[in-house]
Amino acid sequence: MAPLVEIENLRKEFGSVRALDGVSFNVEAGEWIAIMGPSGSGKTTLINILGGLDTPTSGRAIVDGTDVARLDEAGLTRFRAEKIGFVFQQFHLVSYLTALENVMLAQYFHSTTDQREARAELERVGLGDRLDHLPGELSGGEQQRVAVARALINHPKLLLADEPTGNLDEANEQLVLRLLRELHDEGHTILMVTHAPEIGALADRRIDLAHGRLAHAPARV
Amino acid sequence: MFGLLLWKLLRSNRGRLAVALVAVTSGATVISALLNLQFDTERKLTQEFRSLGPNIVISAQPTSGAAIPGSGQTAATTPALMDDQTVLPAVQGASAQNTVAVAPYLYFVARIDQTPVVTAGTLIGEAIRSEPTWKLTGHLPTGDPRECGVGRNVARQFGLSSGSQFDISYTNRTEHLTVAFVLDAGGAEDNQVFVDLQPAEGLVGLNGIELVQIRVDGTSQQVSDTVEKLRQALPGYDVRPIRAVTQAEGNLLDRTRLLIASMIVLILVLTALCVLATMAALAMERRKNVGLMKALGGSISRIVGLFLAELGVLGAAGGLIGCAAGIVLSRWMGERVFGASIAPRWDVFPLTIVLMVGVALAGALPLRLLGKVKPAVILRGE
Repeated sequence: MAPLVEIENLRKEFGSVRALDGVSFNVEAGEWIAIMGPSGSGKTTLINILGGLDTPTSGRAIVDGTDVARLDEAGLTRFRAEKIGFVFQQFHLVSYLTALENVMLAQYFHSTTDQREARAELERVGLGDRLDHLPGELSGGEQQRVAVARALINHPKLLLADEPTGNLDEANEQLVLRLLRELHDEGHTILMVTHAPEIGALADRRIDLAHGRLAHAPARV
Repeated sequence: MFGLLLWKLLRSNRGRLAVALVAVTSGATVISALLNLQFDTERKLTQEFRSLGPNIVISAQPTSGAAIPGSGQTAATTPALMDDQTVLPAVQGASAQNTVAVAPYLYFVARIDQTPVVTAGTLIGEAIRSEPTWKLTGHLPTGDPRECGVGRNVARQFGLSSGSQFDISYTNRTEHLTVAFVLDAGGAEDNQVFVDLQPAEGLVGLNGIELVQIRVDGTSQQVSDTVEKLRQALPGYDVRPIRAVTQAEGNLLDRTRLLIASMIVLILVLTALCVLATMAALAMERRKNVGLMKALGGSISRIVGLFLAELGVLGAAGGLIGCAAGIVLSRWMGERVFGASIAPRWDVFPLTIVLMVGVALAGALPLRLLGKVKPAVILRGE
């Protein structure tokens, strides 16, 4: 079976700065990958390209059979809606929508809204009693769990998490990591950017980047 | 979900949107008041001008007709006469439904107690209807052709009042008349005697009229249309509008329209600028949410469509509130400034609302910037 993600000689340049320089690796469906490396190593650029938020300068980034580099603006929009779930370090919830409405927003852009399904997704991340709360009324951990529910609501092929615990305290960090572990156990494919080695150790594999190049990509553990 | 998002957008930005709403409402108030004033004053002015009196006159071509016998005037200065049996039926046939009165006139200088008096032979009822500014003392003629009207100066000179009887003569013919009313017109009519056409023709000794004055209600265009029809019906006669009235009306209405249209355009531009400024600020504030929505798979047309709907609601709400306020304002302006009551025109509502929605959407120009938002850049917090 073909890998879910195939990255081949991926390059990304911002003017004279080379953020990614010939990166190649594959990710099998159901894998949990930790992408690690120091600041400026190209981690976020990599998952932005995989998520269709950015386009590579050259090379191939194939997700579930779709070469992201070949998609136009409309194609990227559909790609993001149908294949990718994002979890950001800053949560990025819409401040004037409740937890339930934030999840339904992703449904709205994907196809049609289903309040019952959105409610079930929030109950799954332990927020059944916080449905009608605005983000400002939720703790950091709760907000990140809303973001996870939003990322999962359209059943994406790939979950991209950029420092998902970077803004959380110890207790909330553990809550979110437990959630990611559950998702992995359920068979979700997760690419997670992190600085913390102990969090990276939870993944099946670590991909280390340095100066835009692959520094270390061990096989499945 | 679209409705929910729209509602949440409106609620979440109510502070900024309130500023835009005030601008749109203010613009709509002034515009609807001006439109109300324009439509109603146009109608009123037309009525006022029509009420000034006849606006079409028919006379014989200078070379046609017959001279009044025994007038002592030379042929060059003698007015030509028209056959009333030919002209009046033709006028009735060609006149439109908005013709208020058709008054034929035969002028001659008769004598009362040897004093010359300008006398007009006419259909007195029609003459009165064609001159709504005349003030009459006495009663309207009852149908007796020996009843007449006298100008107030004539009445004073000869001691006449309603019910008085007197003799009027022309050459060697005399008629015995009864005064039905004394007329105060504030013009030359105050020095004249108005006699029914039949005894007038008997006094002069021929059948004929000098001119026909017609009063038509309606716009300048309707008056012109009637003139054209009359010209076709009476090809050998001189049919012309009384230009002083119709042109004054046309010029005044044109100037009023131009003034109001200029003001409306100016207000629309100012309102659009105000909405534009508000939306520019909102577009900057919304860059992060737009970036997020794009990341979630929202197309820019769907996202901007949401914001345009928000502006549409803003324009419609401002337009509706402004229309209601505009009617109150136009009534106040009508009474205080023009001394006339202005009736609300309901067709101003949809026109103003459409204008304000258009202006609000024109103010959405800054939203074009949102199309260039790169989600990756925005979500990095740059």
